[in-house]
Amino acid sequence: MQATRFAVLGVRLGLGLGLGVMLATGCGDNKDDGDAAFAVNSCKAVTGTCMEITSGNDTALQTAANTIDASTTLVLGAGTFKMTNQLTLRTAGAHVIGQGIDKTTLDFGSTTTQGNGVDAIGDDFVIQDVTVLDAPKDGIRVEATNGVTFRRIRATWTKAGDASNGAYGIYPVKSQNVLVVDSQAENASDAGLYVGQCQHVIVRGNHVTGNVAGLEIENTEYADVYNNEADNNTGGIVVFDLPGNPIVGRDIRLRDNMIHDNNHDNFASGGTVASIPVGTGTFAMASRRVEITGNTYSNNGTGDIALISGLALEPDTTQWTLPVATVTGDYQDLGLPAGAAAGTIMNFRGQNILVSGNHHTGSGTAPDLDDPLHIGLLLAASYQSAPVDSVIYDSIMESMFNSTDAAKNTDDNHMCVGGNTEGTFASLDLMAQSAPPFTPFFRPAAPFAPFDCTALDGGAVAQVTLPQDTPQ
Amino acid sequence: MCPLAAAAALAAATAAAALAAAGCGGGSKGDGTPDAGPIVLTGPVQIDVNADPAEHLSDYQLFTFDAQTGFQFNDRVVPYDINTPLFSDDALKQRAIYIPPGAAATFDPENALDFPVGSALIKTFYFAPDLRAPADRPALVETRLMVRHDDGWHPLPYIWDAEQHDAVFSPAGEVRAISFLDATGAPQTANYLIPERNQCQSCHAEQDSVGAPINLVLIGVKARHLNRAYDYGGTTGLVNQLDHLTALGMLTGAPAAATLPAAYDFRPIEAMGPSIVAPADLDTAARSYLDINCAHCHNPHGVQGMTSQLFLDHTNTDLFHLGVCKRPGSAGVGNGGLTFDIVPGSPDMSILYFRDDTTKVGAIMPLLGRSLTHTSGAALLHDWIAAMPADACDMAPSQ
Repeated sequence: MQATRFAVLGVRLGLGLGLGVMLATGCGDNKDDGDAAFAVNSCKAVTGTCMEITSGNDTALQTAANTIDASTTLVLGAGTFKMTNQLTLRTAGAHVIGQGIDKTTLDFGSTTTQGNGVDAIGDDFVIQDVTVLDAPKDGIRVEATNGVTFRRIRATWTKAGDASNGAYGIYPVKSQNVLVVDSQAENASDAGLYVGQCQHVIVRGNHVTGNVAGLEIENTEYADVYNNEADNNTGGIVVFDLPGNPIVGRDIRLRDNMIHDNNHDNFASGGTVASIPVGTGTFAMASRRVEITGNTYSNNGTGDIALISGLALEPDTTQWTLPVATVTGDYQDLGLPAGAAAGTIMNFRGQNILVSGNHHTGSGTAPDLDDPLHIGLLLAASYQSAPVDSVIYDSIMESMFNSTDAAKNTDDNHMCVGGNTEGTFASLDLMAQSAPPFTPFFRPAAPFAPFDCTALDGGAVAQVTLPQDTPQ
Repeated sequence: MCPLAAAAALAAATAAAALAAAGCGGGSKGDGTPDAGPIVLTGPVQIDVNADPAEHLSDYQLFTFDAQTGFQFNDRVVPYDINTPLFSDDALKQRAIYIPPGAAATFDPENALDFPVGSALIKTFYFAPDLRAPADRPALVETRLMVRHDDGWHPLPYIWDAEQHDAVFSPAGEVRAISFLDATGAPQTANYLIPERNQCQSCHAEQDSVGAPINLVLIGVKARHLNRAYDYGGTTGLVNQLDHLTALGMLTGAPAAATLPAAYDFRPIEAMGPSIVAPADLDTAARSYLDINCAHCHNPHGVQGMTSQLFLDHTNTDLFHLGVCKRPGSAGVGNGGLTFDIVPGSPDMSILYFRDDTTKVGAIMPLLGRSLTHTSGAALLHDWIAAMPADACDMAPSQ
């Protein structure tokens, strides 16, 4: 198909109210090939319907977004689009492509109505080479979409550490085949990069900083998270299931990431992330079939890795009960406990997690003394002036726990830390730790028997491949 | 030439000019095209589902409006009202149904009435300077159409011109500061959202399950919401809306309205506050409010509401999914520093009440269409939660 080049010259021609698109299809001037505003990306390289939109007034962009046919690319010129409302896309094959994160900005700072920055539903969505600034709610929310690509984008808020910033920067949710690559998420009051209730995900080469939670993988299956950097968040990279969400998290790899200096004040206004202790590297909560390998952890004040049962957050097992008829995705092979009612399963259990080959330096020396769940306080009281062990496991649902005798501990949940040549490990009986005096932790030497297994039950997590993950 | 014909000719000439200009921009009112004056009805309603959206609302010939005499509807355009309305920053609303000749809607006991292809739902949003006197100097802001095509409902947003003569197709929407005195006489300024066309799907979209096709659906035209009397004037007078549509031959399959359930009538609460609700009716009143204000998203088929697993539709009987002691999935700043959606007996500890009461951008519920607090609605939810048997909800073990 021959590429068609349209131009919406809303601002330049002083037109472009209701008729911007008609203008574009009928009479818009084709761009000069040397136009500096479209020097990086232009319609020339696009196959199929494409419109170039000049920065400035957002009306031409909004008119285009609300009238395009399926499979249309909107190329945004260099400069700032001052937005008065969210950019809403509800068309399959909508691609929004700017000139680079330092060149094209969608600025929602003067938006007076509630909304996200970019809000998209529609299969085969792409957003690339653009910054989304100061969105009232989420930076870029993509929902119920099969085929999502975030490439070289930035979601950020001007004020660092401000509780009134939007919740999530980059937020694909309830979507399939999601690629988040070479992007940045900063200053979100909840999670910078938040993958929720998704299936088949690659998160690669991103930088998350200044958020409460840097990077979250929630109720998601088949996710490969690698070569990312998380620093200066309250918590770096976390994996968890929440009660009641009808997809069971599983088969997640966190590998070869840099997770360091995550000691930012917790500025969340509430919710699950408000419970994250300052100085958390990684936790996996209510998760199974997770591999945490080859990552570099350093200078996370509370500690590097925690393996936690969902009951540590929500002790009421009925809240973790899911009717199987409502569950999306694969869970049948996981051996999840049945709920009290017929035809239900429960997903609070943390189990079958591999922690191997990670690097640890300088963490665990300053546990958070103020986190609402008092985890940091517990660690501080237990370790006194010694650094917290690199990997901490709560032992919930283990049939035996003993602080001194390895033979009197079980690894019923198949937590495997035997493959670590750096770092230390401890388990604790969290459910017995409601008040001082705390029972001592179990602190075995490498290879940390009985937690010395080195492989997941059911085989390693398989590689994730996505149709849109081709060299750029 | 008589004045009416002259106006029609002028309208036609204007439309022709607009069409001629449309290819190369210009042509919308305000660009120097002569003003055709107020809408004049020259014949039957003109809805062509095969045509592109009309540039002007007048092209559909649905109704006329005059600030002195109000709305006048064309044949087969029937106004209606609903028992508990959606709050939209105190906007006044005039709703109407159009069904093409020879066709009728089909009754449904639970979901929206099923309308034949070519039907339209017409909803005009307007304000008056003083809402204690809503008929004095009303000013129309926007008219939203939903038109039934072969493949489902198509949303068409129109914004009224400054002269109040016609409305222009406006897919980009607008955010407009609107000031007025509210029903108590207090000055208010709303950051009123005229939604983008795609934002129609924020409220009007459902799917059977994750990954299934997304369908546009109607919200207000369900039997329980329509089951109330409306004063049609003239010889018809005050008649039940469902019975009236049946009598007109525009609705089939509906039992007598007196035998059907009705959603709670919110008007007394709007006027007097929730204290006038009998304790035995409090749950019904609150659930009717949640049903119309929240359940378009918060139901098991709501494309965006599904994510939260909070289901506020009137059929939901599961307390967890109603929000009782439920932690929100991803409320972000919307949680207001609170932990559970509903803490029975404690509205001030309940995220549901916080989000319905707050005007903090980023935390407001419903997601769209509210920048001001609906005082009587929030008070109703407050009283409803307060009346629940107290339960502190399980807090985490170390607290």
